[in-house]
Amino acid sequence: MRWTAWIVGALVLLLCVWGWSGGARRADVRVASADVFTLDPQRMTYMQDLRVARALFEGLCCSDPDTGDVVEGVAKSWTVSSDGRCYTFHLRPDARWSNGDPLTAQDFKEAWRRLLLPDLAADYSELLFPVAGARAFFAWRAAQLSAYANGDLHSAQAAEDAWREAIARFDSTVGIEAPDAHTLVVRLEQPVPYWLDICGFQSLSPIHRPTLERFSRIDPETGMLRTEPGWTKPGVLVCNGAMQLADWKYKRSMLLEPNPMYRGAHPAQARSVEILPIEDASTAVLAYESGSIDWVSDLTAEFRAELVNSGRRDVHVLPAFGTDFWSFNCRPTMPDGRPNPFADARVRRAFARAVNKDALVQSVTRLREPVAATLVPPGSIDGYESPAGLSFDLAAARAELAAAGWKDRNADGLVENAAGEVFPPVEMLFMTGNPRVRGIAGALAAMWRDGLGVQCDVRSKDGKFAKEDLRAGNFMIARGGWYGDYLDPTTFLDLSRTGNGNNDRGFSDARFDALLADAERTTDPAQRMRLLADAERLIVEEQMPILPLCRYVTLYMYDPDRLQGIVRTPRLDQRLQRLRMSGSASSPGEDAAP
Amino acid sequence: MTALILRRLLQLPLVLGLILTITFALLWIIPGNPMENEGRRPSAEVAQAMRRQYQLDQPGSFLAQYAARASGIAWIAGAHPTPFDLGPSMRHPDWSVNEIIAAGFPVSATIGLGAIAIALVVGSIAGVIGGLRPGSWGDGVTQALALVGISVPSFVTGSLLLVLLAAKLRLAPVGGWGTPAHALLPMLTLSLPFAAYIARLLRFGLVDQMQTHHVRTAMAKGLSRRDAALRHALKNAFLPVLSYLGPATAIAMTGSFVVEKVFAVPGLGRHFVDGVLGKDITLVMGVVLVYAALLVLLNLVVDILYAWIDPRIEMAVRPA
Repeated sequence: MRWTAWIVGALVLLLCVWGWSGGARRADVRVASADVFTLDPQRMTYMQDLRVARALFEGLCCSDPDTGDVVEGVAKSWTVSSDGRCYTFHLRPDARWSNGDPLTAQDFKEAWRRLLLPDLAADYSELLFPVAGARAFFAWRAAQLSAYANGDLHSAQAAEDAWREAIARFDSTVGIEAPDAHTLVVRLEQPVPYWLDICGFQSLSPIHRPTLERFSRIDPETGMLRTEPGWTKPGVLVCNGAMQLADWKYKRSMLLEPNPMYRGAHPAQARSVEILPIEDASTAVLAYESGSIDWVSDLTAEFRAELVNSGRRDVHVLPAFGTDFWSFNCRPTMPDGRPNPFADARVRRAFARAVNKDALVQSVTRLREPVAATLVPPGSIDGYESPAGLSFDLAAARAELAAAGWKDRNADGLVENAAGEVFPPVEMLFMTGNPRVRGIAGALAAMWRDGLGVQCDVRSKDGKFAKEDLRAGNFMIARGGWYGDYLDPTTFLDLSRTGNGNNDRGFSDARFDALLADAERTTDPAQRMRLLADAERLIVEEQMPILPLCRYVTLYMYDPDRLQGIVRTPRLDQRLQRLRMSGSASSPGEDAAP
Repeated sequence: MTALILRRLLQLPLVLGLILTITFALLWIIPGNPMENEGRRPSAEVAQAMRRQYQLDQPGSFLAQYAARASGIAWIAGAHPTPFDLGPSMRHPDWSVNEIIAAGFPVSATIGLGAIAIALVVGSIAGVIGGLRPGSWGDGVTQALALVGISVPSFVTGSLLLVLLAAKLRLAPVGGWGTPAHALLPMLTLSLPFAAYIARLLRFGLVDQMQTHHVRTAMAKGLSRRDAALRHALKNAFLPVLSYLGPATAIAMTGSFVVEKVFAVPGLGRHFVDGVLGKDITLVMGVVLVYAALLVLLNLVVDILYAWIDPRIEMAVRPA
C-alpha cells in the first residue's frame, strides 16, 4: 500500500514533467503586457490590442510617434477638396499583404464596411460616423436585421438576400468608394479637421478579404454576418504591417516577427518581439528583475510608488494622453427622487476649489502626476490654448458654498441650508480593486469634510455594479477618467455633450453644445480651436461637471541602456517594430523604421 | 458494480443540464454585458447592436441554442457543423471556448496532478510519522507544519516561493509556462494545503486504527508497532484520504486561480475567473460544464476504488 502510493505519485509527477512540449522560442525583446483580447483590428478596444495592431497592420496613413504628425502609410499621398469634405487617397501600387497578395483600395473599403456593420457591433464603429451616409447606413442595417429576426422567413437564402441588399445599400449611400485598385475616395458629412488622424487609427486598418471570407458566414437564424474565431491565428492571419504573427497561445505568449513583404523592410529594423501576458503586477516586476522580461509596459504593482521614489533609472513615469477626474452628478434629482445638491454649479465649483491636488499627488498617489485643472492635457495638441481652470482656494470654495445657501448656521462644523437641513452625506462612488483610487477617495472625503463641513459616504462597488450606478446616475460624485483617442480637443470635450453615451454626469448645457456645434461648422482651424477652448473654459471654470485631478501617467520598467525605441511623447504611441536591445546586431540607417 | 457505474453515467446528463441552467441564471443576474469594456462606452445604437449580436436580448433562445450545440444535439440533427461546440468566447472573439479549454485544461491538470502527487507523498509520510507515535516530537512538528499548510493562503506561499526560489536564488523561472521548470513552483505551492490535509486525515485515521482489536491482536502476537501499523492499520486508515482525494484531485486539476495568477500560468482556473469578472457567458458555462463532468467522474472513480479496497462498501451502495 505505502509503496504503491509513493510509486504512483512519483510516476505521475514524472509523467507531468515530461508530458508537454519543451522550451519556448526566445525572442529578442520580451514585453510584459496586459492580455491581448483580439487581433481583429475592427473589433479592438484595448490599448494592448491596439499596440500590437500598430505592428501588424498599417492604415492609409499613420501618425509619427515622435512628432504626432500624420505621415504616409499605405497611401503614399492624398488630396483634400477645398470644402474639406472629400479625401482622395492614392495607395502605393506596390503595397503587399504578408502572403504577397497585392493590397488594394477594395481591402480598405470592405474593412470599413465591416467596421460599420451592426453585425459586428464594433466599439469603434462611431469613428466612421463622420463619413457621408455612414450613420444612416448603420441604423438602416440594424433595422433590417431587427425586422429579419422578428420576421417569419428564416432561411439561408433569405439571410443571403438581406446581406446582398445591405451591400448594395452601402455601395450606393455611404461615401466610401474605390474607383480603381489604388484610389480610395472618402466623402464626409462635414469637414472633420482630425480626419487623417482617424484614418491612421487601427480600427480602420485594411483586411485581407480572401482570409476573412473563409471564416465568414451569414447566420440564417439572425441574418447577421458572423466571423468565426480562427482567422487571426498564426499561420492564418494575413497582415500588412511591419511585423507578422509568428505564434500566439491563449493568455500565454505571442510572438511577432518581421514581415518580409513590408515595404522597405530591412533585416535589421524590426526584431522578434514576444509579448507575455503577466497578470499579477508583482510577478511582472519579479520577472523583469530576474531578466526574463525586458519591458514591463504597464507597471501597476502596489509598491510602484516605492519603486518610483527609489530613484531607479529603469522606472519611468510618463504622462499619458489622459486625464484622471471625478464626475459630479448634474441631474436635478437622485434616482430615488431626493434633491441632488450637485445640480447647482456653485456647489460643484465649491467642491472643486476645496481640493488640494498637489497634496494628492505628493502624499496619496505618491507618483507626482502633473496636476490638472483642465480636461484636455495642456500642451498636447498643437494650436490649442488650454483655459486656466480653477485653482485650490478654500476661502473661495466656502464662499461659493455659502452663495448656494449652505452655511454652518449652528456652529456644529457642518453646513446647513436656510431650512436648517444638514448637507446630505456626499455619496462617492468608485470601483473596488484599485488602491490608488481608494486612497484618492479617502483623501477627497477628508478634504471636503475639513474644508467645507460636509460628510462623505465613500462607497466602493464591484465593476459591473459601479457601472450600473454610473449609468443610472446613482451617485453624487463618482470616479471618472478618460484617455484621448485622437489628437483633437473634441476627443475629450465630446464627453460633456448633451446625451453623449459617456456623459455619466448627465450634464447638459445649451451654450456648451452650441460652441461645439459652431466649432464643427468652422473651416478656419484657429477659430475652431478658440471655440473649443471657450467650450472647455465653460466646463472647467464655470459649470464644473467634472473635477480634473491630474494627468494620467503610465509607468514603464525598462533599462534605458539596453532597450531602445520606446516612445516618450504624450500619446505613448509605442511601435513594437522599433524596439531593439542594444548590443544585438544592428546596421546603419535602421532608425528609419516607421 | 456495473449497475453503480451505469446509474452514475445516466445521471451525468441530468446533473450537467441542471448545473448549466443554474450557471446561466446566475450569470444573467450579474449586471452589465460582456461586450462592455472599461472606460469608454459606445453610443446607444452600437450598444444595442452589441446585445443583439449574441442574442443577449433573448435569454431563452440563447440558452436553448447553447445547450443544443454544447450537447451535440444540434449536430445530430444536422443543424450545426460540429458536435460539443461551446461557441466563441464573448470577450476573446478570436478564440472558441473549446480552444480555450483545450489550451488551459492540460496546463491546470498538469499542475493539479503534480500537486496531488507531491501532496500524497509528503502528506502520507507526515501522517504516518504522526500516527505511529501520537504525542511524540515528530507528531508535534508534522502536525504544526500541517496546520501552517492549511492556514497560510497560497498567494502568500506562492509569492514567498517566487521571491526566494525564483527571484533571489534563480532556481526556477519567474512565471510563465513552457518548460518543466515552469511547473515546479506552482505544483509545490498548490500541493501544500492538500499535503497538510492528507497528513491530518492519515494521522487521525492511523491513531484510530491502532486502537482496533485486530491491530492490537497483531501486536500481542509480537509484531512491532511499526509493522502492525504499516501492514494492518494503514490500509483502513487510508480510506478517509481516498474519499478526500476524489474532489481534491478535481479541484486541483481544474486549476487554482490564485496559483495560476501569481505564477502567470495560462491555466483553466485563471480563464474561468477572468470569464466571470468579464461576464464572458460562453466561457464560464463551458468551464463549468467541464468542471462538473470531471467532478462527477472522479467521484465515481473514488467509489470504485473504495469498493476495491474494502469489499464491504459495495454492499452498502447496492441496496438502493
